[in-house]
Amino acid sequence: MAQTRSGSKLVWDIAAYAVLGLLAFICIFPLIWTFMTSIKVEEDIVTRDMVYFPTRFTFDWYVRLWSQSGYPVLVMNSLVVTSLTVLICLLTGTIASYAFARFSFAGRTHLMLAYLVVRMFPAVLMIIPLFIVMRNVGMLDSTWGLAVAYTSFLLPLFVWMLKGFFDAAPKELESAARIDGSTRIGAMLRIVIPIARNGLVATCVFVAIAAWNEYLFALMLTTSQGSRTWPVGLQLMVGEFQLPWGMLAAGGMISILPVIILFAIVQRVMVAGITAGAVKG
Amino acid sequence: MSRVSASASPPPRSVWDSVNPVRLIGELSETRYWMYLLLLPSALLITAVVLYPTVYGMQMSFREMRLNRPDLGTDWVLLKHYNRMINDPIFWLSLRNTAVWATSSIVLEFLIGLIAALALNRNLPGTKVLAVIILIPYFLPNVVAGHMWALMLDPRLGVINDVLVRIGWLDSYKAWFADPATAMAAAIVVETWHSFPFFTLLIMAGLKGIPTDLYKAADIDGAGPFAQLRLITLPMLKTIIAAAVILRVIGLVNSPDLLLILTSGGPGRSTQVLSLYAFQMAYKDFNFGYAGALSVVMFILLMGFAYIYIRLSKVNQD
Repeated sequence: MAQTRSGSKLVWDIAAYAVLGLLAFICIFPLIWTFMTSIKVEEDIVTRDMVYFPTRFTFDWYVRLWSQSGYPVLVMNSLVVTSLTVLICLLTGTIASYAFARFSFAGRTHLMLAYLVVRMFPAVLMIIPLFIVMRNVGMLDSTWGLAVAYTSFLLPLFVWMLKGFFDAAPKELESAARIDGSTRIGAMLRIVIPIARNGLVATCVFVAIAAWNEYLFALMLTTSQGSRTWPVGLQLMVGEFQLPWGMLAAGGMISILPVIILFAIVQRVMVAGITAGAVKG
Repeated sequence: MSRVSASASPPPRSVWDSVNPVRLIGELSETRYWMYLLLLPSALLITAVVLYPTVYGMQMSFREMRLNRPDLGTDWVLLKHYNRMINDPIFWLSLRNTAVWATSSIVLEFLIGLIAALALNRNLPGTKVLAVIILIPYFLPNVVAGHMWALMLDPRLGVINDVLVRIGWLDSYKAWFADPATAMAAAIVVETWHSFPFFTLLIMAGLKGIPTDLYKAADIDGAGPFAQLRLITLPMLKTIIAAAVILRVIGLVNSPDLLLILTSGGPGRSTQVLSLYAFQMAYKDFNFGYAGALSVVMFILLMGFAYIYIRLSKVNQD
């Protein structure tokens, strides 16, 4: 009996390895293939016989992308928009999240629910009026305007995710500081935020990745090279040049590099945060 | 009251103290209204960028609003846009496509996400790295995910075509996104690849919360792995699965990003979904009134779905 059970456990373990190996391959293969395309020479990309193991390599696509297509400006704009989005979330979201995590007050549950429901509003339903409102106040086609628009769906997310980390920070140290005569804001800034530091960083990274990746709002709310972000610019390239696969692949690789690096650094804390928020939400 | 506080009042302040911002904020933080002050900035911001535009968008759907035809004005037209919608075959087609797109994607994403989470939850040596790799697609931008797959499915240089021909599943390269019969299916594959890790992530978190005693008891009672999945795992995960499904359905119905990048609704209108139709109505035709009406209908359908789904899955009973 014991033998059959350990035997069936072994079968399931092997099945688990097989499934995970296959899924990991499916997940990573498009990245590997795109990277290979970005360092292949043109003749190895556009060919009748698929080149699986190229023998010639080139960085020409990266050089051409960087020097000829205005890509540095697009990346710079994206950096500015992403930083502004994180900054806005950090300044307004941290304190809101702290208030939800530490105080009980009239309307708390309803307000928290409101912050959650806001995420369900259709992007299209918001984008169209945002376009008109921003045009009226002169924020259309500006990095500031786009960053403010991003807070519409990222700020609620930021507040909920960070609340999970604040909830996990022990209250005792804070109480001790209060007894020692610290004000509430003093305790928040000197005790609670340093304890929840990792969570704060992970939450910021999550918001930064989302802002960096965003396409639809950017397409609608930016119209010129001055504020256009890289996803919109890269997509426009498809029409401008005759499907330059090498260049598109190079653009894709450059653009996801920061995402992969940031994800690798904070993935453990971030995953814990996303799931904590979701479990309680 | 005033007498009590007067007797307990701190020593008189210096002039600097009454204007020192650090001290003022510190004192403010001791008042009863402190938490409301903390919430004020974010609440104002959300009101300005979410609630106001949403209300504006809803009233817009009852007005004439064409940015490229200022001569038509912005008069109230009551239900004109909604009447047009009922007689608009593209609306009904988009609605059907949205149902196919969201349902197929959700089912596939949930099943693959569940299998991955169950496999990862065995905590076998070496699978931590695989977990990180499996989560990566979810964090990649739509634009890059779309281009990667467009390259791999390309009718002339696509590696997937090459592999399928080599193993004999296909006679010749196929233009997946140019054939109305396969475009939607191909887009669903890309979407599933991109978002199934979301389910893996949430289900993994849920699995950690199930007491192992339950499985030990089931083992003793002789329940096999499938019985355990059906009788323990899935019921215990009910709340988290419901939350994940609702969030994903909202994402799938609301955001036309991936389809916009892969097919723009084509070929013909075989991948035209509601959100894409609304977006193009605003972005290309500048008919903001009709686009607003389409989004309002989408919003109402989503709210209805969320309500019925929560009722049916009886999450509230827990």
